[in-house]
Amino acid sequence: MSRGLAVYIVQRLLLVALTALIVSSVVFIGVHQLPGTALISERDTNPATEQILMRHYHLDLPWPQQYWLWITGLVHGDLGESLVNRGVQITPLLLREASVSVTLGVAAVIITVLVGMSLGILAAIRQNTWVDYLASTTAVIGYSVPSFVWAFLLILLTVSGFYTWTGGFIYEDIGWGKPEQIPVPALALGLPYAAIVARLTRASMLEVIRQEYVRTAWAKGLASRAVILRHALRNALIPVISILGPLITGIIVGSVVIEYLFGIPGLGQEFVNSILSRDYNIVVGVFTFYAALVGVANLVVDLTYPLLDPRIRY
Amino acid sequence: MTRISLLRPLAAAMAAVWMVAGCGGGTSSEALASNQTLRFAIIDQPTSLDPSDVDSAVDITFLAEVFTGLYKFDNNLKIVPDGTTGMPDVSADGKTWTFHLRKDMQFSNGDKITAKDWIWSWTRTLKRNKAYASNLYIVTGAQDVANGAAASVSGLSAPDDYTLVAKLDAPAGYWLSQLAMPTASMVLDQKVIAAAGEDAWTEKPETYIGSGPFKVTAYSAKESVEFEPVKGWWGGDTGALTKVHVDFHIDVAAQVQKYEAGGYDIVGMANSPAGPDDVLRFKSDPAKSKLLTIYPGARATAVGFNFITGPFASKPGATAGAPTNGSSGTTDPGLAGRRAFSLAIDRNQLADIACAHAITCQPATGGPIVKGFKGYLGDGGDPWAKFDVAQAKQLLEQWDPSGTKRKNLEYRYNTSPANDKRAQNLQAQWKQNLGVDVKLVPSDFPTLQRDRKKKIVIIGRQSWSIDYDHPQDWFDNLWSCDQAKVGRGNDEAYCNPDLDKITAAANTKPLDQALPDYVSALKTLVNDVVWMTIDYGTQPYIVQTYVKGAGYNGLYDYSWVGIKLTQH
Amino acid sequence: MASLPTSVEASQELLLSELPEQMSMAQDAWRRLQRNRLAVIGLAIIGLFLATAVVSLVWTPYQTWQQALGPTYQGPTPAHPLGLDDYGRDILSRVMGGAGIALTVGVGASLIASCTGIVLGMLAGFYKGKVDALISLVVNIFYGVPDLLVALILVVLIGRGIFNVILAIAITGWLGMARLVRGQTLSIREREYVEAARTVGTPNLMILVRHILPNALGPIVVQATYLVPAAIIFEAFLSLLGLGVPPPAPSWGRMASEGYKALQIAPHIVLAPCAALSLTVLAFNWVGDGLRDAIDPRMRR
Repeated sequence: MSRGLAVYIVQRLLLVALTALIVSSVVFIGVHQLPGTALISERDTNPATEQILMRHYHLDLPWPQQYWLWITGLVHGDLGESLVNRGVQITPLLLREASVSVTLGVAAVIITVLVGMSLGILAAIRQNTWVDYLASTTAVIGYSVPSFVWAFLLILLTVSGFYTWTGGFIYEDIGWGKPEQIPVPALALGLPYAAIVARLTRASMLEVIRQEYVRTAWAKGLASRAVILRHALRNALIPVISILGPLITGIIVGSVVIEYLFGIPGLGQEFVNSILSRDYNIVVGVFTFYAALVGVANLVVDLTYPLLDPRIRY
Repeated sequence: MTRISLLRPLAAAMAAVWMVAGCGGGTSSEALASNQTLRFAIIDQPTSLDPSDVDSAVDITFLAEVFTGLYKFDNNLKIVPDGTTGMPDVSADGKTWTFHLRKDMQFSNGDKITAKDWIWSWTRTLKRNKAYASNLYIVTGAQDVANGAAASVSGLSAPDDYTLVAKLDAPAGYWLSQLAMPTASMVLDQKVIAAAGEDAWTEKPETYIGSGPFKVTAYSAKESVEFEPVKGWWGGDTGALTKVHVDFHIDVAAQVQKYEAGGYDIVGMANSPAGPDDVLRFKSDPAKSKLLTIYPGARATAVGFNFITGPFASKPGATAGAPTNGSSGTTDPGLAGRRAFSLAIDRNQLADIACAHAITCQPATGGPIVKGFKGYLGDGGDPWAKFDVAQAKQLLEQWDPSGTKRKNLEYRYNTSPANDKRAQNLQAQWKQNLGVDVKLVPSDFPTLQRDRKKKIVIIGRQSWSIDYDHPQDWFDNLWSCDQAKVGRGNDEAYCNPDLDKITAAANTKPLDQALPDYVSALKTLVNDVVWMTIDYGTQPYIVQTYVKGAGYNGLYDYSWVGIKLTQH
Repeated sequence: MASLPTSVEASQELLLSELPEQMSMAQDAWRRLQRNRLAVIGLAIIGLFLATAVVSLVWTPYQTWQQALGPTYQGPTPAHPLGLDDYGRDILSRVMGGAGIALTVGVGASLIASCTGIVLGMLAGFYKGKVDALISLVVNIFYGVPDLLVALILVVLIGRGIFNVILAIAITGWLGMARLVRGQTLSIREREYVEAARTVGTPNLMILVRHILPNALGPIVVQATYLVPAAIIFEAFLSLLGLGVPPPAPSWGRMASEGYKALQIAPHIVLAPCAALSLTVLAFNWVGDGLRDAIDPRMRR
């Protein structure tokens, strides 16, 4: 790794940290403008206990001071304690749930890229044939139908469908914990984006194929076709990589709904639950996590660019 | 009191039978499965696992397995000794009760249990003074501890290590039932709690120590909890199960899905019943309907109105715990409104829509106490439960001539498929029949509980599941002036001192003499429309065919000790 | 190109001569759009839903909130062509009402997000310097934040309700538009006639409105069109989690989540709203694609 590259990576990581900090600070400050007692969700309504709790969570301090305490904790990786479930430390909780969500997200991205690119390449190679039209229409339908509708259909298919058709032999266990539970929610999550990737792949492949020299070489025969295809493929990856950033953000958004529907104990479900139960410490914590996640993901994406396009150097 | 002495030999016989059945193991002819892990889920997560604090039916299910009381309800709702060797000796005047404790009892960590532990536990419960601390109020000096005026309960004493004596303020026929409830009067390990902390001891399996057949072996906040039987349990055989795994925060529709995929063994345990849509689906499928059992329930659902805040209040601005009704009170500005809202609801339609064509609940027309239990006012016994749109409209205008009170009303409830349906139907009927728009504000159960106990909920879902068949269970927990204080169970803050006098007197008499008094008190309650009762629930259970011994006795789940999984 | 004009009249003539070209560009685009079959179908579908939405404001076969109109879960009958849902409400009426909600949320959120984005994007691209630095900083920082999370927090903070939902969606929606408009502004402001206008002393506001905006209008309209289905799906997500427009409002997302529970005994309940949602989104996507192809400068050659 060259020195320049190392410097670049450090710079970017600092930027990620800064971004995460700013985003979560906004959320933190926004959330703490609410009246203090609203933050205490306790079984006790004994004023003495409430006092003790306020002090425990530093909620009796003016909010700039609370903010400072939170920042210093953040630097040490300590996201604080859950408001609703006393004693539960947030950082280990979120780390555990993040590993679940990241697994799901990575699986979704893999499906997106694989399925999307295959479809797009197929359509490009067989341009203007029925295959192309079918693939293109499928793609538009793919990203027009919301991901939860796909989830409904998939759940119907895998839970009821397989179960009845095979007389109870095959069943899909909805939930998390076994490796075979990953594909179905990942599919529901990734399908809409696979469709978008398909379109992009097709367009960029066509761009390459259409160029004059390519058409000549293509007409010449098999050997040059293979070279063309490889070149076109590499080129096709670039726009896909370029939307990887928004893709990841989109998958995070989709994961909130998908985790809810499939009962997967990830960050998305945690976020919804903690919002509903007014556990603002966790809400701020999840936000921080996500902001950092997106930043790191974007960094990884940017670092893979030079692998594909030799023109780009850092 | 004669009742108890008759029950004693009977109960002793039952206890003997129970112990033999428990110890002897089953004479089942079915082979047991190799994996004896029972798996199910609950909708939220436990609000409190501390027996002194607990007040929700969900949490009680777990407590019944981890802790021990002096007595308990068996699978047939009979009261049997648990920590005692038999029924208590009750003096002739009914005010002194002597309990003979078992000498072999110990906590799951090996600490032995003596009478002192019971006294310490009960004192702690009274000091913390939560919902079911009221189970112990009848003991002399108990309320002083609850109020903070005394440090120990004068009426409790331990002549020796295995004898516990309780002096009561008045004879109380229902006290045995209260002692059998798996809540506030269970025995706790003083050493462990002192070391781990009064609030923190429930948070880790190592410090969450009880004396019941099961113990917590894993607890993952917001995710799951696991129980395993206690090896060498003093009470005998802990049954066939080797583990019980409970998932949290799984909504009921997802639970049923997972059940159908083989991921759960039961849906419906710990008060997490399947929603009406799923129940209907199971009922209409010939194969699936065999897995469904509808137990008659002991739960009433109602709409509660706030008596001290808001447009329905009888005494707006009163402090919680101060009288709101009764001979001392004069006008009740909210009365017409509460009656109007109650008359505007066709309970038959609600039961049809919200309860899978009236399978999972029945329309309630006989007052708050569930049909089939003592205190039921009879079909149609609640004059304000009938469906009368014309009268409702009339009362509405009487209550709110200017049209301001009916604006910005919010109905609060805890989310579950059945509750959502009830809420939406209430909203639709109030709109159709009264022209009033009520906003629905769902939340999770702990949030609703918290706000209800603060007495800030104006109209909210109310529900009570019978603890034992005695109207005292209702009055003393839900409608007394004492419970109207902030933090206690009378969420409506309804306080009628005259009513409290009647019920207090009735509490001391044997039930058959007291019943007419309770009934007249109920009629007052119903006329004041404290609770707008809408339905009586049933408890649907969906159980896999290989699960044996699971069920519901109307009030509680069958004990885990009797559950086993056969080969499948 | 010719040297710069030396008089006001001459420069004004130069400015005016740009207008017909812009108008013919628009006419060109419209003609091309009409030829795109999918876009036309999309427009027709949108028109249909729009008409339905407008009609539903004053009339639906039954009240959308009225329950117990018949046996619950009943399938399609002549009296209720789309059947009844699990509360006994007429599904056709609810789908009609849902069209109103979807279009209100979609168009409303898109409009607010677009206007905000256009204004801020133009300011950043035109004035550059500190203004640009500030706006770009905000955009870049919040660009990667998952919008659903922000919307969820907002909805819980400010409560549910159709306007709150629109606000929640628009609050992150303007970022993309701002970026686009900034880019457009940066390139357009370098063009000769803009330079000319500035030299002559035309007020900045006029330049922005009369020169930059019309020339960037093409991509702006495309982006705004794509924002509508995104907002509609967004609201459906919120409804699914129980945080969308509150009941008994017949939002399609809410209908789908309620109908899903009864999928096996009454599949018709979930079918209608899912189909309506998908069709509307599909239609907007087709129109957006058509618009984008129509104004594509490459094809113009």
